[in-house]
Amino acid sequence: MTSFVAPTTVRDAGKIHTQSGWKVETHKYPICNSAEIEAMTSALGITPPEMIFGNNSVRVSHAASGFAIEFNAFDALDVVDKTGAQGMLKVAYSDEWQRMREKVSEEIRDVVRPFDWSYSTEWKGRVSGGELKESSDASIPYEKLRRPDPILLFDDVVLYEDELADNGIAMLSVKIRVMPERLLVLQRFFLRLDGVVVRIRDTRCFVEFATGECVREYVSRESKYEDVKKKLAMYPQDDIPSLMRDPNELVELLPIIETTREKATITMNA
Amino acid sequence: MPGLPASIDLDECIERLYKKELLAESVIEAVCNKLKEQLMHESNVVHILAPVTVVGDIHGQFFDMLEIFKIGGFCPDTNYLFLGDYVDRGLFSVETISLLVCLKLRYPSRVHLIRGNHESRGVTQSYGFYTECSRKYGNANVWHHFTDMFDYLTLSVVINDDIFCVHGGLSPSIHSIDQIKIIDRFREIPHEGPMADLVWSDPDPERDEFTLSPRGAGYTFGAQVVKKFLEVNKQSHILRAHQLCQEGYQVLYDDRLSTVWSAPNYCYRCGNMASVLEVNDAGERFFNVFEAAPENAEHRDAATAQQDKGVVVEYFL
Repeated sequence: MTSFVAPTTVRDAGKIHTQSGWKVETHKYPICNSAEIEAMTSALGITPPEMIFGNNSVRVSHAASGFAIEFNAFDALDVVDKTGAQGMLKVAYSDEWQRMREKVSEEIRDVVRPFDWSYSTEWKGRVSGGELKESSDASIPYEKLRRPDPILLFDDVVLYEDELADNGIAMLSVKIRVMPERLLVLQRFFLRLDGVVVRIRDTRCFVEFATGECVREYVSRESKYEDVKKKLAMYPQDDIPSLMRDPNELVELLPIIETTREKATITMNA
Repeated sequence: MPGLPASIDLDECIERLYKKELLAESVIEAVCNKLKEQLMHESNVVHILAPVTVVGDIHGQFFDMLEIFKIGGFCPDTNYLFLGDYVDRGLFSVETISLLVCLKLRYPSRVHLIRGNHESRGVTQSYGFYTECSRKYGNANVWHHFTDMFDYLTLSVVINDDIFCVHGGLSPSIHSIDQIKIIDRFREIPHEGPMADLVWSDPDPERDEFTLSPRGAGYTFGAQVVKKFLEVNKQSHILRAHQLCQEGYQVLYDDRLSTVWSAPNYCYRCGNMASVLEVNDAGERFFNVFEAAPENAEHRDAATAQQDKGVVVEYFL
């Protein structure tokens, strides 16, 4: 893994908290500077998103067993399709644009090496010091998470964001909350490519401190843009633009296309 | 040219806007209509003389724009060239564009406004300006007044017959600056063609020529393109905005092109610096780099507080 040294002149706005032997760290720095972007571009082999928080991360670790899971931008971008082999998305007006273009400047044939410029990632976090195994009886106990338990640490960390040249939004962010008896991490990839597609890929990581039970759930949702718009038809016209920017409003409107659940029991001897 | 209605005093409007007060809908309508008349007579390529302070993307970060005036001098003591992207993203697009419209009307030869890709009906519906107008005025009328006026903003400025200024960059359909003059600019920004390229394209320092974007629309332009454009048009430098940079500015192609970015801590979470570029009488360029204004923190409402240090605790599932 390539690591990027955080600039020492800028303050880390992240947080640290340890609960029942589980240490939670968030790191929040400014976006990468041009030298860091250059280093990341050559390490990744693709141009990073326009807002790239390469020094941000969220890490949950259990010192006694050595188990840890970490979320950062580099890892997530490293699994983005770098060759366009999985089928390239095109902006809604691409065909029209290509037709017009051929009239004026047909001599330009040089295309930047194709890659998934929507930065869609299936990354679920880097696990070390243990292993999560796919399991049919793994599940996140949402009823426990609905309790208004005190939140000892909460943070919301953006890893990257791109406006797709005014064609929508691609964003990867991580939320974490630590309660006295458990914690929950939500890494969310949100893509809205206007006129084309909406995607939400959620990775949740749950830990129950007393039992050492750790569950990771990945849910991928996707829908055609027009289908999402149709489902918003009952809202006032003026509210629709802001609804279309809010993944919390859209998530339930998108059909699930993939779910995986894994678990591990983390103890002293894991 | 008919004047503004007698009831509208521009100096008073400017005073109120410096205090971040909103103007009445009828006043917005009047000043936008008046500005359209004024801009109709501007060429697609406006020639100006230094000294001038050049400002990049602001994106509704009103307090940071006031910071620019505090650092660089208020109008009309300092001449300003704004490179576009006044609205969207930030919390105060309405106040920002209202003030710029009034300043341009009041000091037409000392304030120049170029059109950016966000000065468009389509883009402002997606990125916040439409929503902000509707919330602050209860309806979208002022959004219509502003976006109708956007159709009249010029596309480029040349400083001292020497520095070519544009929001985005170059276009493969434009070799000579004269070709910009014949664009019919009084319209919504199209998806394709030279007008789109001028507000959208980005430099690619790794390349020599124009390159197609993998998105299926749009170009990047390389080192040889810039060199040739400057030679053909007898210019020494290209000045543009459009791209976020952590340092607040970026200089490329052996000092032939500068990017100026003027929204510090963009979206209240990027932690980046910002700059304005001062061009002095002799045509020399100096970047003045600055940080986010302290007022931002005080005026941020709960909904956006989570985007910065004051994170709002949330029982997310």
